[in-house]
Amino acid sequence: MEYIVEMLNIRKEFPGVVACDDITLQLKKGEIHALLGENGAGKSTLMNILFGLYQPDRGKILVRGQEINISNPNIANDLGIGMVHQHFKLVHNFTVTENIILGYETTKGLVVDIKTASEKIRLLSEQYGLNVDPEAIISNVSVGMQQRVEILKMLYRDAEVLIFDEPTAVLTPQEIEELMKIMKNLIQEGKSIILITHKLKEIKAIADRCTVIRRGQLIGTVNVKDTSQEKMAEMMVGRKVSFRVAKERKEPGSLVLNIKNISVKNPIGVLALKNFSLEVRCGEIVGVAGVDGNGQAELVKALIGLVKVETGDIELKGKSLLNDSIRNRIDQGVAYIPEDRHAYGLILDYNLEENLVLKLYYQEPYSKKGILQKDIISEHGQRVIEHFDIRAGEGSTTIARALSGGNQQKVILGREIDRNPDLLIAVQPTRGLDVGAIEYIHKRLIEQRDKGKAVLLISLELDEILNLSDRIAVINNGELVGLVDGEMANENEIGLMMAGIKRGESDE
Amino acid sequence: MFKKRIALFLVLFFVLGTLAGCGGDKAPSEQKNDLKVGMVTDAGTIDDKSFNQGTWEGVVKAAEDFNLDTRYLKPSGTTEADYLREIGNLYDAGYKFVVCPGFKFETAIYEAQNRYEDGKYVIIDGSPVDPDGNAVVKENTVAVYFAEEQSGFLAGLATALQLKEGELGYIGGMEIPPVQKYNWGFQQGVQYANENYGTNLTMKAENVIYQGSFDNVAAGQQLAAQMFDKDVRAIFVAAGSVGIGSINEAKARMGNGEEAWIIGVDVDQYAEGIYEGDKSAVLTSAMKYIDTATYDLIKAELEGNFPGGETLVFDAANNGVGIPRENPNLDDEVEAIVADVYTKLQSGELVVSNERGDLLR
Amino acid sequence: MKAMNKKVYILSFVAVILGLIAGAFFMLVTNNNPLDGYYYLFRGGLMNIERFGNTLATATTLVFTGLSVAFAFRTGLFNIGASGQMLMGGLWATAIALTFQWPKPILLTVIIIGAALSGGLWGGISGWLKGRFNVNEVVSTIMLNWTAYWTIYYVIPKYFKGAFLETESRRIPQEASLRVEWLSSLFNGSYINLGFFLAIIVTIIIAFILNKTTLGYELKAVGFNRLAAEAAGINVQRNIMLSMMISGALAGLGGAVFYVGYASNMQIGVLPAQGFDGIAVSLLGANSPFGVFVAALFFGLLHSGKGFMSAMTSIPPEIADTIIATIIYFAATSILIEKLWDRFRRKGGRE
Repeated sequence: MEYIVEMLNIRKEFPGVVACDDITLQLKKGEIHALLGENGAGKSTLMNILFGLYQPDRGKILVRGQEINISNPNIANDLGIGMVHQHFKLVHNFTVTENIILGYETTKGLVVDIKTASEKIRLLSEQYGLNVDPEAIISNVSVGMQQRVEILKMLYRDAEVLIFDEPTAVLTPQEIEELMKIMKNLIQEGKSIILITHKLKEIKAIADRCTVIRRGQLIGTVNVKDTSQEKMAEMMVGRKVSFRVAKERKEPGSLVLNIKNISVKNPIGVLALKNFSLEVRCGEIVGVAGVDGNGQAELVKALIGLVKVETGDIELKGKSLLNDSIRNRIDQGVAYIPEDRHAYGLILDYNLEENLVLKLYYQEPYSKKGILQKDIISEHGQRVIEHFDIRAGEGSTTIARALSGGNQQKVILGREIDRNPDLLIAVQPTRGLDVGAIEYIHKRLIEQRDKGKAVLLISLELDEILNLSDRIAVINNGELVGLVDGEMANENEIGLMMAGIKRGESDE
Repeated sequence: MFKKRIALFLVLFFVLGTLAGCGGDKAPSEQKNDLKVGMVTDAGTIDDKSFNQGTWEGVVKAAEDFNLDTRYLKPSGTTEADYLREIGNLYDAGYKFVVCPGFKFETAIYEAQNRYEDGKYVIIDGSPVDPDGNAVVKENTVAVYFAEEQSGFLAGLATALQLKEGELGYIGGMEIPPVQKYNWGFQQGVQYANENYGTNLTMKAENVIYQGSFDNVAAGQQLAAQMFDKDVRAIFVAAGSVGIGSINEAKARMGNGEEAWIIGVDVDQYAEGIYEGDKSAVLTSAMKYIDTATYDLIKAELEGNFPGGETLVFDAANNGVGIPRENPNLDDEVEAIVADVYTKLQSGELVVSNERGDLLR
Repeated sequence: MKAMNKKVYILSFVAVILGLIAGAFFMLVTNNNPLDGYYYLFRGGLMNIERFGNTLATATTLVFTGLSVAFAFRTGLFNIGASGQMLMGGLWATAIALTFQWPKPILLTVIIIGAALSGGLWGGISGWLKGRFNVNEVVSTIMLNWTAYWTIYYVIPKYFKGAFLETESRRIPQEASLRVEWLSSLFNGSYINLGFFLAIIVTIIIAFILNKTTLGYELKAVGFNRLAAEAAGINVQRNIMLSMMISGALAGLGGAVFYVGYASNMQIGVLPAQGFDGIAVSLLGANSPFGVFVAALFFGLLHSGKGFMSAMTSIPPEIADTIIATIIYFAATSILIEKLWDRFRRKGGRE
């Protein structure tokens, strides 16, 4: 079997970091080759080199056995290499056809020949089982369909090698399954695929071989058939990891958070959360599952106090929060781990002890009569750092920016949990973290629950929701689709609900 | 800040351009005269086509004729302290004959004539003023004034005679006495032509404007454009760089075949108005011979008869004001009439008022 | 944090040295010896007690405008309107000084507090617009600069006109001036005034506010990361407004010390350059109060010695201005130098 693409001994250095060090990746014709690694391991850099966005410092690239210098993306296109980006690059008010031919138009005289293009797309769609309507407007089709349009875009340009960058991040489980079918079709038609992901389950399900990289180093390439998920995880992280978080069944206590029929508008003035109700009790973790952009952001902002609630009420321990400022809510025991820790969680230019008093500095003993009490702030910082095992070069005076993502998240976690809040709202708490840090965060969340606190977990990672939640609320298009007991839940059922199909409706 | 940056880049280009030919050639130094003459500029640059430049040209001419060391300094601000500091710098560096153009130097010169007693000072368009507001011209200082109203009068007369009929406008800088006197003199000149030579020119109150600064080039252009759009045929500008903006507007219009005349101020601005070949949009200029005055005072100092303590007024009688000697845009008969009226001013037969009376603004 | 500060100061120092080298280049191409040039430049600002006093007096205003810009910077705001705030502060100071004949201590206290308030009000308008309607403060402060400019243009000639000059106010009487006899004579007739001591006190107060108080903590948090500050319950709008008010008040004080201290009256038609120089002072001083103070002294020295350099060498004033601008330019780009420095250090560390 010959290789269609070979990247040999690639090295790429950025100021201060070696992003790729002596990495070799060989893609056979007609295989699905997974590229596995944690965030920041160097996957994207490697693919950007193949796509011509970066030049390697060392090493060479062979396409169909020929050494080639890919100095810009156009060359990659000409070589039949196409990339399906994680964030789609589509014009929303254009039709499928218009999007696909954009920049690649065939013309009849001076007029763009849409008809022929549209016909070609229909044929391609049938050939690969994509089921795409060439005349549909992008803004009217689902995310899964948009991804297929991206795939069609590559096929239309006669791509032989398709790179999928984290393609399942935005999909429901059902959509993921369909995507896998499509990928298999592609292989059958003679295409080759590189699949960038950190989801082991998917690799196991579909990939032929898997190349694992860790911190810019090549760990190895394995045959997926001959290995296990645990083994690949170990290669990726560098040590053994456990997937399941142990937690005991517990009876939830009194009502802490009571969301009553709230409706919230998004920044462009459209109702993004409609008549949404949810209860969170002491000693339970309630997970909110849903595909990104279905009202989760508005729910969180409404709870924190960043946006106005149009109708309905939010009660904390039986008292309405609606007229309280952000700070008042914090003082009443609402803690918040934001999705984007750099934007909402930390003052990156403040040091750790300053960050750790971000929600305390105005109280005694941290300040007296408007004067900060640096000694007490410093002591507090050191205590939390020790207690939450935050690794920082210069202790409590380290600038937050200098910390790794996992440690930054620990700083936020420490700050929020140390205040002993009644309600902890955790949004994507493990986003972008390595497996070790994920384990740690999960343990801490369970610990909060076990201490009798209420935890509201909002995550796009279905596994995380399933692992941690006592109850699961599924949200779709701003509405609560249903509530499922965590123990009973299965992925398939939740997946359907995430797509907006209520329980019992699935047979129709 | 931004201006400074632009200046930096300009100088960089200039420097790089001249670097090649830079061989360090210096004029063979002859026996230098002991007198060193310094000048402090008013707000604005040394090549402002106006006050600073006129003064400096007088200094340079004297330096050539009598082989003097000269230097000018640019203050970093416009306060008395800024001015006095530069006067002090010149004094400390041995430039003990200091010329300062502009009324803004009044208090600084007052301080200087006391503080640096053995220096000599010339202040143009102003007198040394003590803290209580009284003019005190000491023995080491000469205050120089010009009869701007006469200069404006002659320019107004020439304009009227040349254009015969139509609408005229005026753009001043700040509303300060010299600028006002130009305006009033100009209006009297136009009236004089209307009454004695049968011309028919008018000025409307809305077309007599003081822009409020001497440095806003863009505003000068806009004001001129508005006036020209209202069928004003010629504008007298007494406004420093504001006037340069007006001239630019006139040049553009003349280039398009429209009629748009400017009457320049202080110095002969004919060259400023050239828009094509040697055709200029500047009809004539109301001049005051700052360069001659400066030259004469330096010369007087060298000859030992510096008129210290005096307040001098330069007017037609001592050829201190007038219109340019050559006016390509004026007909010969117009120039002849102006020359004739000039003699009447010199003799005192004709008097131009330096007050507003019932004139516009 | 300490190590960080040290680095910033080193960078500023490097920036100054580079600026001086670049300036030397201009002296060389105009056939002047840079050593002579710099000798006279610094001598011009320092050669006797009077000139030293004038250097301090020149620096005084820059301390205030520098602090003003730096303070806003710390809250993530770019106050380009220090000139206008200076004018409003100066207008108040001039108006009080020319209207009332109170005993000097009372008069000066009223002048100083009032100037801070009116500058603060002027800056506060921009802060309010930003906080309430998200109007970019750069735009609003520039526009308010001109509003102030034309306000002065109207008010001074109308109500405080000098004896025969239309373009400036009456002279500030000795009793209302920040210039005091003992200080002037101590510095041999220099323009140094009580404003210099005020500058020292205010620098210390601002450093205290920024580093030791909850107010400073909040302001800086908003400056570094508005979203996180808001999510942590800090009232962002209030802080933006407060920051602009304090920034404006500092510039207003600058106006007071300039118009009733350094200058002897208020002129119309001038937008004080000190407001814009404040931006460079703030950058060179790394936005820290004491850094700003030192940077202002340095700028004061440059402005003050420039003329003497021109007088003693054949460096024309335009080139002298260019040299000063070059030094300022380099100083202001110390952020760029920081990047190069980091890269250099990383490379150095590796090999």
